[in-house]
Amino acid sequence: MEIVVLTKPVPDSESRLRPNATGTALDTTGLKFVLAGYDESAVEQALLLKEASPGTTVRAIAFGLPARADEALRASLALGVDSATSVEAPPDTPVDPILTARALAHAVARYRPAIVLAGKQASDDEAGLVPSALGEILGMPDFGSVVNLHWLADRNVLTFDRATPDGLESIEVPPPAVLALQQAWNDPRTAKLPMILKSRRAPIDRIPWPDVAAALGEGAIARTRPVGFRLPSARTGAKMISAKSAEEAARELVRILQEEANVFP
Amino acid sequence: MPDFSLSEEDRSLQDLARKFAKTEMAPHAAECDRTGRFPEEIYRKGWELGLMNLNVPTEFGGSGLGLLQQCLIVEELAHACGGMTTSIIANCLALEPLLLGGSREQKGRVLPPFCKEYHLAAFALTEPGTGSDAGALQTRARKEGDGYILDGEKCFISNGPVAELYTVFATLDPALKHKGITAFLVPRSSPGVHAAKGEEKLGHRASSTGSIRFDGVRVPASDRIGAEGEGFSLAMRTLDQTRTPIGALANGIAQAALDHAAAYSLKRKTFGKPIGEHQAIQLKLANMAQDLHAARLLVWHAAWTIDRGASGTLESSIAKCFASDAAMRITDEAIQIFGGYGYMKDYPVEKLLRDAKLTQIYEGANEIQRIVIARELLASYA
Ligand SMILES: Cc1cc2nc3c(=O)[nH]c(=O)nc-3n(C[C@H](O)[C@H](O)[C@H](O)COP(=O)(O)OP(=O)(O)OC[C@H]3O[C@@H](n4cnc5c(N)ncnc54)[C@H](O)[C@@H]3O)c2cc1C
Repeated sequence: MEIVVLTKPVPDSESRLRPNATGTALDTTGLKFVLAGYDESAVEQALLLKEASPGTTVRAIAFGLPARADEALRASLALGVDSATSVEAPPDTPVDPILTARALAHAVARYRPAIVLAGKQASDDEAGLVPSALGEILGMPDFGSVVNLHWLADRNVLTFDRATPDGLESIEVPPPAVLALQQAWNDPRTAKLPMILKSRRAPIDRIPWPDVAAALGEGAIARTRPVGFRLPSARTGAKMISAKSAEEAARELVRILQEEANVFP
Repeated sequence: MPDFSLSEEDRSLQDLARKFAKTEMAPHAAECDRTGRFPEEIYRKGWELGLMNLNVPTEFGGSGLGLLQQCLIVEELAHACGGMTTSIIANCLALEPLLLGGSREQKGRVLPPFCKEYHLAAFALTEPGTGSDAGALQTRARKEGDGYILDGEKCFISNGPVAELYTVFATLDPALKHKGITAFLVPRSSPGVHAAKGEEKLGHRASSTGSIRFDGVRVPASDRIGAEGEGFSLAMRTLDQTRTPIGALANGIAQAALDHAAAYSLKRKTFGKPIGEHQAIQLKLANMAQDLHAARLLVWHAAWTIDRGASGTLESSIAKCFASDAAMRITDEAIQIFGGYGYMKDYPVEKLLRDAKLTQIYEGANEIQRIVIARELLASYA
């Protein structure tokens, strides 16, 4: 069985983010890119399936500027995926989720996977559109918020649960399918040092942007364009309570909760 | 021109160590410091990730890292806890004599088990009567049949109370001085080996340090490392390799002190403004940053020198000596910046000073490093 995992490079959540000079997008100069957190869960799920069904191979595919995509791919290789494909993004023009899905579909189709796994959304833009768009383009059923995924070899079906606000919905579907995993429901493993060294030397298959653009034709142009990017404004409204004793402070807190915040009558 | 850039591989090793330090070591550092607990579960996790036995070549199952990469990892680990780092890198110290002087048969027999499973080893050179003057050590090795009988006592041995294998330096005849010293591999399970419990220490309290007594311990000739009389040279060449990471360890502690001090200086207000806006505090922070930067460059340079195949005796002595002295200055100033809070155990900086202190003493006290540096210096004028 072939599994493809979509692995997005995103800015390290520990880096300091700021808008670019024109205020249209995030300033990415000097930012460190890492494998998106939710996609780490997807890689973990792929590796669990591989461990449960010998003979399974896992390929990570990332769409992005090559240096960034490589970070996500090498991180996936270090975790244990077998192979990696970098799908190059256009160097100077913005991309949007639909263009991303089209470019990824172009690559995914080459490998005819039984399962395409992805995080439910990316930890940077949180758009959550790519998996379903990809399913649509490839004509594969797609599901979101997936947990507890198994492949039953004897009947060749995928079984999984969907985490909904009301409970777990159990689903069976024959492969192929695109499955977007619920965030961080499994506890992704940590890459070990020898695997990190190995991943740095592993080959990465590359699909250059001109090839992608030629294959997509008119679809190679993003239809949406970011026009502004602002950091969230600092929260206001914090209120410091000054009091002589803890008891007095507590009494004042209760008063505020009752009278000003109407938390309890 | 030298190139100071780190490769992607270097950075990914740094990231691994940083993540481990932050998520596994740091949360337990204060507790282990308070109680003196040896956090074996953390060391096991570190081993699982490949953060132990960094110097063991890949052909024996290790990671076969160069010294610069080892130093990058050690600095990150020590940022979370110097004591835990001492215990994590003690295997590198204990196994280095074997790497330098062991036969292929010995390496193939002894090294792979350390890479397949979690085991601890310890380097036993120091004795109650001799530390710096290692050539005067008294532990005796008497030839008997096709082996040796060891008698004597070692002290201050990192991981001594918990390790399963000791690299022991003993003399065939004290009158021979350096030339009598020979290195042996001694399993702790050998009859006559008595490892004492860990000592109470000022710092590095998550590491276990103790004495080991050898009462008529039989060692087969196949467990002698190198030739008879080669032990002193093996010990010195080992320290040439392991001294630089001690500098990196000092830098990790110093970086933690600078991080705490700088962050605190922006929060703590006196006379209407953050203390970081008082020039006296800024000058302290600037001096700390300079000291640390110089120390890091010296460590990188020593590691780079050794990675290129040179012995690096001078460079590693300079790096270890400067970095450990700098770590004392930096941790001292960090406490000063914290004021009274810095003196309190509820705050993290006083531990850093206690942990930094050891880096001036072990793996060759700094007085000895200066003797080495001066000797090399003067030799070039003679
Ligand atoms: C926590 C800890 C862990 C350790 N781990 C290990 C280990 O794993 N394995 C191991 O073998 N050892 C270990 N040691 C021992 C350590 O390496 C020695 O303590 C160190 O080498 C100094 O030896 P000493 O204590 O005998 O001091 P001494 O040699 O007695 O020195 C006392 C003082 O005199 C100075 N001095 C000595 N000779 C001269 C000289 N010629 N000129 C000027 N000054 C001089 C020294 O620098 C020092 O300041 C450890 C020590 C500690 C505290």
